[in-house]
Amino acid sequence: MDLTLLAQGLVSGVLAAGLYALVSVGLALAIGVIGIINFAHGEFFMIGAFLAYQLSVSLGLDPLISLIFVAPALFIIGAVIYQSTIRYVLEAPELNQMLLTFGLSIVLQNLALVIWGGDPRSISNVPYRSVGYQVGGISIGLVPLGSFVISLALVLALYWVLARTRLGRAMRAVAQNRVGASLVGLEVNRIYLVAFALSALLAGIGGVMIAVIQSPTPTVGFAFTLKAFAIVVLAGLGNIRGILWASLTVAVSESLVATLVPNGDALRNAVFFAIIFLVLVVRARRTA
Amino acid sequence: MRRALPDLLWTLLLAAVVALAPTVLKALFAQASVSYLSLAANAISLAILALSWDLLARTGQLSLAHAAFYGAGAYTAAILAKLGGLPLAFDLPLAGVVGAVLALGLGSVTLRLKGIYFAIATLAFTEVLKAVVQELPTGLAGGAAGLNVPPLFRPHFVPGAMQRWEIAYQRNEAYFYVYGGLLVLTILVSVLAQRTRLKAAFTAVRTNEEVAAVMGVRPARVKLLAFVLSSALVGMLGALEAMRLGSVIPDGTFAVSTTVFALVTPIFGGLYTTLGPILGAGVLSAVEETLRRTFAEGYLIGYGIVLVASILFMPRGLVGLANRLARRRRGTPPAADGEEAG
Repeated sequence: MDLTLLAQGLVSGVLAAGLYALVSVGLALAIGVIGIINFAHGEFFMIGAFLAYQLSVSLGLDPLISLIFVAPALFIIGAVIYQSTIRYVLEAPELNQMLLTFGLSIVLQNLALVIWGGDPRSISNVPYRSVGYQVGGISIGLVPLGSFVISLALVLALYWVLARTRLGRAMRAVAQNRVGASLVGLEVNRIYLVAFALSALLAGIGGVMIAVIQSPTPTVGFAFTLKAFAIVVLAGLGNIRGILWASLTVAVSESLVATLVPNGDALRNAVFFAIIFLVLVVRARRTA
Repeated sequence: MRRALPDLLWTLLLAAVVALAPTVLKALFAQASVSYLSLAANAISLAILALSWDLLARTGQLSLAHAAFYGAGAYTAAILAKLGGLPLAFDLPLAGVVGAVLALGLGSVTLRLKGIYFAIATLAFTEVLKAVVQELPTGLAGGAAGLNVPPLFRPHFVPGAMQRWEIAYQRNEAYFYVYGGLLVLTILVSVLAQRTRLKAAFTAVRTNEEVAAVMGVRPARVKLLAFVLSSALVGMLGALEAMRLGSVIPDGTFAVSTTVFALVTPIFGGLYTTLGPILGAGVLSAVEETLRRTFAEGYLIGYGIVLVASILFMPRGLVGLANRLARRRRGTPPAADGEEAG
């Protein structure tokens, strides 16, 4: 086996894991803290991508700078969606939550289709897109590296918030026991609101990065919703820390197959979901 | 069994309506009946999809694999037609068998998974199956480009005796009958599951598997039975759709949207009932068609808003809403958190 190729596959996989983790950690927050099965999560990702595209076209903003506007915008969009819809189905069965969020996903996706059309959109004014480094035969693009570093920093920052801050402690308290948390004086609904808005914000930042890496269409979000769900489930519901490892596992396997197997690029999705399927089935057998 | 009698009579009535509908439509609307029949077939297709999904959901298995069985059925028909040898009509039951066998396999390994874990495992199964079909030898399954499927019916044009549009009418009429027949079959299965002791078994397994086992229900058997029935039905639907639409292609035939519609429609209509998914399919098809005709572009925005509003204002679906209104009229207080009837 070609060792350089193997190393290349590993490195690309690790770099791709960052974005997966960033999007999934937001969903894990929604599921773990609020208990909402949010199938519209990827749409926040998609909105982030297209806002960055629009800011680049209209104002010529660099995607990195547009983050200053996109992140708060997604926070507000998340908060509005929570206030207008999500909070009414917190106690409802899973299936009702699924219908609601599928509905939201259809609305947002088609709004984007009407506004931006169905063609792939790419941001043209990114001078650093083609910058790359060669380290011992392995090529590392600046954009994947940057997206990895930013994603990792944000995921770790979220871990820190959850572990160390008042807000984080409140979120964990609400996640563990809603009634208990409200009895000790926490404003449960406001904490949910912040958690949901934060989850939209994290996905939105991921979207800005995908707008630089690929040329997204309005359907890019749903594919990421499914993958994020798979990663959250792989990590285990409520296990926000496990997201990093789960993302790393699937991203590296995906990348190894794509680089090592001839014609393997077409198999990326299959590998991703085959791992999820096997882990779920095997784990259920072992624990029973 | 005796409790099933009223429902069976209703089903018989529906079968009679299906049998008469094309003739009546043709007499009333002449050429326009061609597109009405096609729209009706779409709505029936959605109803079969939804009702077969609901059948499975009654045992608590929230499957996201409906597209997998639909696609497996469609590809069975496409490949069998390509290999030739069998009359096309035989492909329908065979597609059902393929769906059932796959469901038996998937169902047995996912028995212990619950809720969202089960959902994601079945979703992953769909994606893997799609990739497997795509990677099959191109000579057999056509790879990423898919296959053409011959039509089940080839109407004959008799010059002088009939008009041009009547060719399309004959074709749509024939499909309408087969779709109607499959719907009636699906309803029969659903009614039998609702009006016999199976209902208690399904509900017990959904509510609490451990308690169900103590009561003498075998959860594994019940869950597999529901999975096999549901998948056989949707497998046949897939085969039928492949013949009517004329082609199969991995990305379209195994599309997640099929699964999404299979689950959205029963929730909208009323879960764990026979009437709910059918009613939901009828109303949602009508809503979608009306929106499509009113707003050419972006009509799905309205469709999504209808879904969101429906869950906020009628959390138990159309059937739940109807029950609530009926109770209010009778003046009886609403049931606390009980099962909706149906």
